[in-house]
Amino acid sequence: MDLRYTAEQDAFRAEARAWLEANVPSAPLPSFDTEQGFALHRDWERKLSEGRWSAVSWPEEYGGRGADYIHWLIFEEEYYRAGAPGRVNQNGIFLLGPTIMEVGTPEQKTRFLPTMASSEIVWAQAWSEPNAGSDLASLRSTGMLSEDGPDGGGREWVLNGQKIWASRAVWADWCFGIFRTDPESERHRGLTFILVPLDSPGVTVRPIAQLDGDTGFAEIFFDDVHVPVENTLGEVNQGWRVTMAAAGFERGVSLRSPARFSATADRLVNLWHDRGDPSDLALRDAVVDAWMQAEGYKLHTYMTVTHMLDGGTIGAEASLNKIFWSEMDVRMHEIALDMLGPEAERMSGAYERWVDGFLFSLSGPIYAGTNEIQRNIIADRVLQLPRGL
Amino acid sequence: MRFAFTDDQQLFAEGLRDLLAKECTPAHVRAAWEEGTGHDAALWSRLGEMGVLGVLVPEEQGGFGGTDVDLVLLLEELGKAAAPGPIVEHSAVVAPALIGTDFATGLADGSVIATAALDGSPYVPHAQVADIVLVPGGVARTEGATLTDVEGIDQGRRIFTVDGMTVAPVAFDSDLAFDRGALATAAFLVGLSERMIEVAAEYARQREQYGKPIGAYQAVKHLLADALQKVEFAKPAVYRAAWSISVDEPTRARDVSMAKAFASDAAYRASRSAMQVHGAIGYTWEADLQLWMKKAWALQRAWGDATFHRRRVADAVLGLSR
Repeated sequence: MDLRYTAEQDAFRAEARAWLEANVPSAPLPSFDTEQGFALHRDWERKLSEGRWSAVSWPEEYGGRGADYIHWLIFEEEYYRAGAPGRVNQNGIFLLGPTIMEVGTPEQKTRFLPTMASSEIVWAQAWSEPNAGSDLASLRSTGMLSEDGPDGGGREWVLNGQKIWASRAVWADWCFGIFRTDPESERHRGLTFILVPLDSPGVTVRPIAQLDGDTGFAEIFFDDVHVPVENTLGEVNQGWRVTMAAAGFERGVSLRSPARFSATADRLVNLWHDRGDPSDLALRDAVVDAWMQAEGYKLHTYMTVTHMLDGGTIGAEASLNKIFWSEMDVRMHEIALDMLGPEAERMSGAYERWVDGFLFSLSGPIYAGTNEIQRNIIADRVLQLPRGL
Repeated sequence: MRFAFTDDQQLFAEGLRDLLAKECTPAHVRAAWEEGTGHDAALWSRLGEMGVLGVLVPEEQGGFGGTDVDLVLLLEELGKAAAPGPIVEHSAVVAPALIGTDFATGLADGSVIATAALDGSPYVPHAQVADIVLVPGGVARTEGATLTDVEGIDQGRRIFTVDGMTVAPVAFDSDLAFDRGALATAAFLVGLSERMIEVAAEYARQREQYGKPIGAYQAVKHLLADALQKVEFAKPAVYRAAWSISVDEPTRARDVSMAKAFASDAAYRASRSAMQVHGAIGYTWEADLQLWMKKAWALQRAWGDATFHRRRVADAVLGLSR
């Protein structure tokens, strides 16, 4: 055990810090859940990619730096320290990208990964359906192999159905979805993971306003949408396995790096210095507890990635992470709003980031699998309790 | 940056686990309770032979020559077994504090038994079985002193008022000794928490109501999942604090306090969830659950409770309170 960084890791940190200091926009960008903000965030991603910082943990051939997890964590720490913009293509780079690297064909890697790293193509996730949320395996959108066509059929999927809660789908270019491709199948069997351009004929994207009023997610309707079978990720009818691999990335380390929460905790400490009543011991306890939670999450992540660097994997334990960070994020914002008093009612002004952040934090315990589902996963797979559902 | 234990460290812990599975079963712990000392002399000498009691003593003085990182996994195993006796005080606090002093003899192998009274409590744990007590400013012998058992909640950790001790002045690093006591107790609490959750999960797999095991019900699943989460996030904090002690990091006190606050809270949560899952059986003397619960309740406040330690972190992170 040695929790000090090596000289090489320190040099990597210095390089990232210098680049970010020179390149991070001086003023915050508008929300990427607005049209203008989305375009500006895509520009930022292009700049990141030109500096080879958009996907540091990817292999160099696809636009990354081949960085291991420790370097990735260092980069993330510097990224949040610099106050750099949110990652508009996070569903691609951190979720679909690793999945393609795991199960994709060589052609798919060459075709999709470089344009993902540069955000020339921004990806949306199309998994949930109006009647398939926590119970994702009950999904009903279908994919049928075409029966006719220029080459005699069987070369295209014909997609039908409806997806919902697709983050950033309003302005994204492609989506990755799961479709029932064996009409006789039930539950987890007979599903296929398919990549779909959102400008395909028959695709209709209907924006949904979020709690903050921005159209950050959308419904996607598929009405006889044709896509080539080459857009299948993984094997036909094995889509559940692909989805679970991707969900593991989403719940585990790759989408919610500790740096984000450490940055929030540091801002909370600063807010306490500015506005906190130092004689209020209950508040002081709450603020330091939030700091400890963020520090604890960071330590847990460093232990997890060391385990992975040693060849270990993360399975259901990823659900522990997801509950932890999402509840911690809500808690930190609650404490901030308590300190803000009447200012906590304002959606504009000096403290809008806390109020907006509070609204956003409330989505954490719901998306990427509700925390209740995560608790079931922990109980069933880690504690080996009998399945109840 | 490497946050993992070595193979040797894990093998040592596995060896201890095997020993405890045979020689520190719930029946052994109950025997130590009923015998009245809260101590198991046979287990103590086995721990001495194995090197557990002298991990932090240099090899040339008969010890194992290890670090706090070597010790932390062992204490976690001892916690899982609710091992009775002054193991934390002896191995983590007194043996390293008295290296090179006149009182070092016999500590590495446990032939002299030591306890400590450095955490501000008016009660001295394990005084009845200890030969010496490390106190602020020096070492006291229990021989000739008047001990009064004040009936601690954990009968594997008897606590006493002690009158008439003569203290021989000995110079030692009392801040380091306190940090080691708090961290060792935190590691013990992690082990206790893991075992309570394991025992409760086992019970939930077997106990049936309404025609199915109670572990199939979400209310029960979620109680245990939440308890597990707290202990899984306490562990890295405890391991990091062990490392901070071993290399004398400037953040040592902060890191130890974070570990003890997390471990105390996690252990209490685990005790409540485990007892609730057991239902009425959990409220009986007969159920072994009490062996771990009561030690957790004693240790969660020993060497500073969660609030004390959270405030020590606050002093480091937010500045001293006004």
